Amino acid sequence: MQKILLVGKPNSGKSLLFNQLTGLRQKVANFPGVTVELKSGIFNAHLDNGVDGKQQQKFELIDYPGTYSLKSLSKDESIAIEQLLNAMSDEKTSVILCNLDATRMERSLVFALQVQEIAKQHNKTVIFTLNMVDELLRFNHKIDTDKLSEKLGSPVYAVSAKTLIGISELQKGLGEIAISPETYRVKPTETNQQASGIAAKSLAKEFAIQSDVVLKRQNAIDRLLLNSVFGGFAFLLIMFFLFQSIFTWAAPLMDATEDAIGFIAGIVSGFLGEGILNDFMTDAIFGGLGSFLVFVPQIMILTLIIGLLEDSGYLARAALICHRPLSFFGLSGRSFIPYLSGHACAIPAILAARTIESPRKRFVTMLTVPLMSCSARLPVYALLIAVLVPDTTYLGGWVNLQGAMFFVLYSFGILTALIVSGVLNKVTEGSKELQDMPFILELPSYRLPHWQPLFYRIINSGVQFIKRAAPIIFVVSLIIWTLGYFPNNGDLQNSYLSAIGQWIEPIFTPLGVDWRYGVAILVSFLAREVFVGVLGTMFSIENADENIAGLAENLQADGLSLASGVALLAFYVIALQCVATVAMLKSELGKNRYAWGAFIAYGLLAYLVSMSFYAVLS
Amino acid sequence: MTVWDIPSKKSASIQSLCTSMHSDVAIRLQEMGFEEGQLITCIKRTAFNGPTVIQLGDCIYSLEQSVANHVNVNPI
Repeated sequence: MQKILLVGKPNSGKSLLFNQLTGLRQKVANFPGVTVELKSGIFNAHLDNGVDGKQQQKFELIDYPGTYSLKSLSKDESIAIEQLLNAMSDEKTSVILCNLDATRMERSLVFALQVQEIAKQHNKTVIFTLNMVDELLRFNHKIDTDKLSEKLGSPVYAVSAKTLIGISELQKGLGEIAISPETYRVKPTETNQQASGIAAKSLAKEFAIQSDVVLKRQNAIDRLLLNSVFGGFAFLLIMFFLFQSIFTWAAPLMDATEDAIGFIAGIVSGFLGEGILNDFMTDAIFGGLGSFLVFVPQIMILTLIIGLLEDSGYLARAALICHRPLSFFGLSGRSFIPYLSGHACAIPAILAARTIESPRKRFVTMLTVPLMSCSARLPVYALLIAVLVPDTTYLGGWVNLQGAMFFVLYSFGILTALIVSGVLNKVTEGSKELQDMPFILELPSYRLPHWQPLFYRIINSGVQFIKRAAPIIFVVSLIIWTLGYFPNNGDLQNSYLSAIGQWIEPIFTPLGVDWRYGVAILVSFLAREVFVGVLGTMFSIENADENIAGLAENLQADGLSLASGVALLAFYVIALQCVATVAMLKSELGKNRYAWGAFIAYGLLAYLVSMSFYAVLS
Repeated sequence: MTVWDIPSKKSASIQSLCTSMHSDVAIRLQEMGFEEGQLITCIKRTAFNGPTVIQLGDCIYSLEQSVANHVNVNPI
């Protein structure tokens, strides 16, 4: 299949354009470095040749990570540039689609002219898109694309991937050009034969909107949000709001899910009548799997808030605010973005760390991202908080005590990451392999979120969470139920599981928990969410007549002490219980010893910290 | 005088990039528009010697002290 390469500066709206052209739903966000891997989709080109009707051809559209130039500084850029240059030489490459930010034309054009120059050398066709023209139209500024196209010697389309302005024209034009690219090869012009910097400046002077007009509002907001006092206060408030909302907003949805699971369980139980099948369905399926499904709304709310922050353009400001404090621990302001993404999932967060220019800071960030409280920890936190902390609200319901506890746990994870970063920074100081690079960041414009991709992202987060964890939880619940139910038909204390559990119990006694929690902790080294499912299954076997989905009530009734609960929470904040994260660390850092070293070190640290908490509190 | 010394809301024109700067960083800055004669305006100085926020052409950048100290400017 012939290929179309989509390239452009970071944060020029490339991913959204890719989605519009392929119908895919790739993640989009308003900060530099969202695309850190090559993404590909199918673009259907249509051509009406007027003789024998319509001609159709499929093309592979490849979205490259944004780069400022063809000389790389960060790891994500070097990968993009290397692959782009290889693809330019590939005879299957039909067209290069170069996306420019219409609101920041001068810098976009420097890169565009560099790409055009290389395309000319490889005898390839280039098309330019001026994206985000909706922003210009707000200021009644229109770009004469015909004239610009004439000067550049390549076709130019004015589009807005967000509001769909010009997208159908681009689809039609791109189709025609991709089918017969030789007709549209770069024409030599006075402009494209000049040095890229000089040509870009002169083109921007003629076609671009006056920068002060666009940046006036942005600069005014920045003066406020980056203010020494108000900026820091606003940052803390936003972060506190983020963690509060996970608990407060999700509560009605979680209650509804719990009621729905209980309702379905009641119907199924009534239908099956008494017996082993009924016990299996209520204990393993509704008790195990159901206890975990209750937490899906929280995952979706977390994705919504992070998505809003990303789309607004605030993340880059947060990175700037955090740069100085983070640099004390050997990190960069850019580490903030992977750290925040790490609260959803460590895997994309480790990939996001590729945008950190400094190899040493990138290394330290990647190794400490797993300490961020990812969404897989959320069910564990939510369950234990519901057991230990009363559901008290203040300030008319705006501040919830359980939500505040969430904030404390997330902060504890961040603090641990900072301490570990400081240590790693000291250890790697002077390493020639990991040299240091400075902090340079472009601040994007503030924008309203694009709701459709955000909506898909929220739904996708819930679906992926279920798809990733449900099969493991199902299998583990099945095994745990079988071992816990037999040989005495539901007598957990005299089951096979109890025999195994009591054998490993001494390991977990210093944390103040019995064998049931010990089994749940051990099994959750496969994936953290399993902890809730396993406890759900065991407590359902023990309390067959209790509320099936109400695991928190069951744990409370069982007498989980504050000291043991806190010890468990501390363990889950620190331990690296995710095989996929270990694999990603190995892939990004290139060495098994770093990935498995982190797994073992965080496991031991979790055990020691947890043991200390129990010793102090009990 | 360097970019780091430009007070908030004041402008200067770029004179040169220090030769002691890492070559990759110098190239990146040139591609971002840090060229002789370009007008640069300080939008905001952040607390505790945090990165300075500047406007260069149609872009807003934030540079930490170790970079900003290596871009020489002429006051206007």
